[in-house]
Amino acid sequence: MSQKKKSGTSLLYQLIGEARGYDDAIIMGRGDPDFDTPPHIVAAAKEAMIHHHNDYSPPQGLLPLRQAIAERVKRVNNIDVDPESEVVVTNGGQEALFLMVLAVTSPGDEMIVPEPNYNTYADSLAFAGGVKVEVQTYAETDFRADPGVVRQLITDKTRSLLLVSPNNPAASVISPSDMREMLDIAIERDLMILADDIYDLFVYDDFQHVSPASLPGGKERALTLNALSKSYSMTGWRLGWIVGPADLMARVAELKAAISGGTSVISQYAGIAALTGPQDAVEMMAEAYRKRRRMVLDALDEMGMQYGMPQGGQFVFADIGFTGLDSAEVAQRMLTEQHVLAYPGSAFSKDRKDYLRMTFLQPEDQLLEGLERMKVVMDNIMAEKK
Amino acid sequence: MASNTKSAILAQHRANDDLNTPLLSQVARADSDLAADGMRSPLAERIIAAASAALEDGQTHYVDVPGIGPLRAAVADYLKVSSGANYRQGNIVITAGLQESRFLSIQMIGEQYDSIALPAVVHPGVRKALGVRSRNPRTMPVDPARGYLPSIDAIAETASDGCRLFYLESPSRLSGAAFTAGEVAAISQILADKDAALIWDQGLAPWVDGAYASPAALDSDCARVAAIGEAYSGMGLASWFVGYIAAPEAWVPALQSQKQIMAICTSTASQYAALEADQLYSEARTRQLSLLGGLRADLLSAASQAGLRVVKGGAVNLIALQLSADNMNRLRRVGIDFAAGRLFGAPDLVRLNVNHSTAAALAALS
Repeated sequence: MSQKKKSGTSLLYQLIGEARGYDDAIIMGRGDPDFDTPPHIVAAAKEAMIHHHNDYSPPQGLLPLRQAIAERVKRVNNIDVDPESEVVVTNGGQEALFLMVLAVTSPGDEMIVPEPNYNTYADSLAFAGGVKVEVQTYAETDFRADPGVVRQLITDKTRSLLLVSPNNPAASVISPSDMREMLDIAIERDLMILADDIYDLFVYDDFQHVSPASLPGGKERALTLNALSKSYSMTGWRLGWIVGPADLMARVAELKAAISGGTSVISQYAGIAALTGPQDAVEMMAEAYRKRRRMVLDALDEMGMQYGMPQGGQFVFADIGFTGLDSAEVAQRMLTEQHVLAYPGSAFSKDRKDYLRMTFLQPEDQLLEGLERMKVVMDNIMAEKK
Repeated sequence: MASNTKSAILAQHRANDDLNTPLLSQVARADSDLAADGMRSPLAERIIAAASAALEDGQTHYVDVPGIGPLRAAVADYLKVSSGANYRQGNIVITAGLQESRFLSIQMIGEQYDSIALPAVVHPGVRKALGVRSRNPRTMPVDPARGYLPSIDAIAETASDGCRLFYLESPSRLSGAAFTAGEVAAISQILADKDAALIWDQGLAPWVDGAYASPAALDSDCARVAAIGEAYSGMGLASWFVGYIAAPEAWVPALQSQKQIMAICTSTASQYAALEADQLYSEARTRQLSLLGGLRADLLSAASQAGLRVVKGGAVNLIALQLSADNMNRLRRVGIDFAAGRLFGAPDLVRLNVNHSTAAALAALS
């Protein structure tokens, strides 16, 4: 298969594999925070290895962890859930996403999905035999998904509406009024809502995150996922969750049992420590991302790149259409010429060949170095164009 | 306001018997719990130290989708030494436990075939994995005299009927019976003759005292057999959820891609713990085999004295009995949890794990 024909996950694999070959590579693509997991969480895991390594965990997770999750979603998201019946622990946000899609989708069902989006939604939907119906969003309107457009796309086959806020890769946050309108549409047209809140702690400036399940009429038709990966720098622990109404969550629990049976108890005890222990590290990391985001935006301005203002999340989705090149080609040149890995937009959507996704999950010195190197490539491209 | 959409989803869910199959727990909840798939085992200090060191060293981030390289290599080496299989690191995908191995292999290898043949008596996790997205299962009759394994004739007949993907357990997850070397050779011949493929659950192989026959050893170019199992069972890692799929290289990209979609990777702490367990496994397993073998021999003797009918099996970690409903109720009344054969497709059987509490279960029946 030629390089240009690759897309989606396979394109990312190829670029990641190549980046590994460079000792001085700066990875500005993958959503893996540079911070290690806070020490008190690692200490709790070590304690669990000694005292709890043989513990039985039901597929939906240890009750103390589900209780901690219920407290967290009440405190942060204003969602009331019963830890006994309305929480399922998962192998990271990724398994939560897969389960959520499977829980509401039968072959032929349509799901309305704002684009661009994390490619695993399309992959999961394809596994379930569902059909993705795209709501296009654009940099010039900061990647806002227009509820009016959503309304127009609903057919008698539409079963669900995906709401990712903050969005990956576009970094847009659904405003409270838009969220209310999206929920009203879901109620009127009897759709299920899949809410991905994984970046809910990373919202910038005056933007506000709202969980649809927190709004009147929302909880009974919404499944909401989250994970500890991004907020606690715990990507390697594979710990996430879904919350939702008990009847649907019973289905989610059966799917979880069928797919993986359970979740490592060591990770679960680490998760309890994360959610119930000191939160200073989360605040420190959020502050660091705020500062780095500004650095990235300043550098992109200098390079002349357009972008939708990142209202939340850990990414910037920048328009490189002015180069006249496909983003896969630009990403390849950045990697080959300067050993910087940014993800091409075509990895997220076939219609986003003009975009690059960059994370700000690197230490500041590396981030600055990476941006400098990117500028060299962009200058070269523009010089060639002349 | 009531949702018709949700009601329809829930009705569909309730009607899905395979998906609603109860699953056995991954580890015993107490000494009297003889039903679990995994045993409670001590965790070596070296394993704790290795996993702790990895976490303190910053191994708290995503790792490669198919697993960390050293663990994949260790699993391949282990399979070569223990069963003569020719797998290498590139054939191995580390999973978040046996059920994920089942699900991934059944769903992704199953995508390449029109149907999948299963024994009529099989672990409930197989039906459950099929309940997520059916892969057109076909059932092969089993032979009670052979520990409820399907006969070679049944396998051959199913292949002749056009089914080209098989799922087999050896040892059986219910009885512990394993296919003999002769039977495995016959199965391999059927696969070759019919250009068929096999998912081979060999998770209980470590508990066979003596030679273990694997079709992977006869699959010289690793083209037809995917072996699955839990990694390093008996090492105190049952609740850490680590499993493997050893598959032909041509099948690995699809397995890896789906693993990425489902979970990205397996917990790093679990993987580093399993890597250390590999170093200790040979010696620890020998010790446990001896201990469990002795316990099981005593149990067989007690069962014989009590007039109980023991199903023929070879794995030392379990014992399967043919029991009346009254006897099953007697076990329940004395607080013994057992794995009900009906979950596997054999309603008159029970499976008991072999440990120091099993004798009490037999005493309740005598």
